[in-house]
Amino acid sequence: MPKRLLLCDDEIAILRAAEFKLKKAGYEVHIASDGQAGWELIQRLRPDMVITDCQMPRMNGLELVQRIRSEPSLQNLPVVMLTAKGFELRPEELAQKWNVLAVVAKPFSPRELLQMVDRILGAAAEGAAVGPIPAETSYPESAGPRPDLASFSSAWDGQPL
Amino acid sequence: MRRTSSEKILAFGMMVLSAVSLLLGAGAAWRGFTPWIVWLVGGCLGGMCGLAAGWLLWRNFCQDQAALRSLNYLAELTTEGSSGQEALARFPSGPHKDAFFAALRKVAEAVSRLRERCQEADHLRTRQEVRLRRMQSEYQQMNTILSGLADPMLALNEYGELVWVNPSAEVLLVRREKQDRPPAAEVIECPKLVELLQTMTQRKTTGTRCEDIEWTDPAGKTHYYRAVVTKLGAGSEHPDSTALSVVAVLRDIGDQKALQKRHAEFVSSVSHEMKTPLAGIKAYVELLADGEVDDPETQQEFFRTIAGQVERLQRLVENLLNLARIEAGVVQVRKQAQSLNEILEEALRVTQPAAEGKQIRLEADLSPLYLNVYVDRDMLLQTAINLLSNAVKYTPSGGQVVLRSRLEDRYAQFEVEDTGVGLSEEDCRRVFEKFYRVQKDANMASGTGLGLPLAKHIVEDVHGGSLTVQSKLGEGSVFRVRLPLLARHWDNEAGGSATDSDLAPAASS
Repeated sequence: MPKRLLLCDDEIAILRAAEFKLKKAGYEVHIASDGQAGWELIQRLRPDMVITDCQMPRMNGLELVQRIRSEPSLQNLPVVMLTAKGFELRPEELAQKWNVLAVVAKPFSPRELLQMVDRILGAAAEGAAVGPIPAETSYPESAGPRPDLASFSSAWDGQPL
Repeated sequence: MRRTSSEKILAFGMMVLSAVSLLLGAGAAWRGFTPWIVWLVGGCLGGMCGLAAGWLLWRNFCQDQAALRSLNYLAELTTEGSSGQEALARFPSGPHKDAFFAALRKVAEAVSRLRERCQEADHLRTRQEVRLRRMQSEYQQMNTILSGLADPMLALNEYGELVWVNPSAEVLLVRREKQDRPPAAEVIECPKLVELLQTMTQRKTTGTRCEDIEWTDPAGKTHYYRAVVTKLGAGSEHPDSTALSVVAVLRDIGDQKALQKRHAEFVSSVSHEMKTPLAGIKAYVELLADGEVDDPETQQEFFRTIAGQVERLQRLVENLLNLARIEAGVVQVRKQAQSLNEILEEALRVTQPAAEGKQIRLEADLSPLYLNVYVDRDMLLQTAINLLSNAVKYTPSGGQVVLRSRLEDRYAQFEVEDTGVGLSEEDCRRVFEKFYRVQKDANMASGTGLGLPLAKHIVEDVHGGSLTVQSKLGEGSVFRVRLPLLARHWDNEAGGSATDSDLAPAASS
């Protein structure tokens, strides 16, 4: 029986691309265009994993994650977040507080997203505890070259420079 | 002086002696003392003594007279306006004349020197007074300038006591009884500033230190200051409690901080807006490149999506550039007297097809008056099209959009009213912010979140008008633009508050 995934994003183009890739890999993919619709689908379909965008109408990604974690039966549901945000999000905080396994920065590669899904669901299938994904894969941007920001006092990737 | 008095004593002695001799002679004669030679000797001795005394007294008198006269001459000589020569000529010749003249010349020289010095001193005093007045006025000026300075300034003596503050610095101080030189640590509320001032006061060498200070005042407002604190030299050898040791100037950099924050937010939202279409492009390109798509129809669909995302990105960049160009004043504003109605009619023509495509009735209710406005035609046309197309975008099929124009109290006004989805109170407030998009309606139409900010900038900053919105959720919105009428027009109206209600056919030329 194929694993069931839920994709949540208000950008239909992105939703379609990820859906196409994951479906082709053999997953059963369901899509929702906002957090509220996503939450309804989660309750109805009980997916094995949720991939959600942050900024969405009606209920945003963070609210959706909080809703999921407030439900005792969904404590260990693997959640990955997609985001186009710059530096407002702190992946460590999300991981620690809400057990978000990874934060994937947009634009993302569907291939890498699939690999991540495979790894998370593979690990879950083997019964291993699914811990947060290492930083390089979870947040590709931080692996890239850092701008020389010696004089910049703001935070980058959530870490004060 | 001593000589004259000793002469007077001598003369007095002589007189006593002569009187005694005369008395002795007279006494001898009266008693019938026979040898007459005694009388004679007594009388002669007395007479001689009397003569000597008289001579001495006369001499003394003459000397006094001469001294008195000399003084008078001297007085006359030193009186301003009199000629010394004339006074000297009147001086009687005599044994004292030469010596007196010599002395007198010396005195006269001394007096004239004294007079010169007096004049000099007078001069000096006048000059000093002028200088003092100038310094006083300069001090007043400086004080006015420093007091009027928006930047807080503080001055401390070497004991760390507050010697001087300007009014702007008083926000930093604890309100309390005026004390002459309160210790800075006790009256300054901001602990970081106190620490900095203390460090600088204790410092031995001169120099300047610059530090950014963040401080939340008791009212809860956060201030950002850049403090420049200068340690002055020891100055005098006599330390004085009023001598300045440390001077601090604080510049309020709150605006700068806010600007930085806004800028960072702006960059963040721009990148967010760009990443979304980029994400689509990247995903589809990868799918196609990996050969995942076998079905030619799906391939075509993916290519179309990519093209759509590229277009979206392009539009966003275009809008951003336009906004930046106009805001930076790079775009030349070409204002001309224009008919507002004519511009609005053009905008209607442009938006008509989109409205028809959505089965929306687009109606015009334009003022019969000639609304003379002084505007950049292209910019205003862009604004009108923008408002109209927004109305069409956010109005469901079958709805209605009305464009109205009218003369309203020295303003030319036009408004776009729709029967669309409407805006909440918060949305009304925020809809002119860059990149703000009403979340719930984001899927109704594509947009960059830059159209309304651009329109607002064009109407308000470029044309001195106003762009406002009135809306009710679910019922529709009205976007209203007011532009100042060209002065010529309302001058003819005799300054009255002409509105469309008092239509005068003559006014529409």
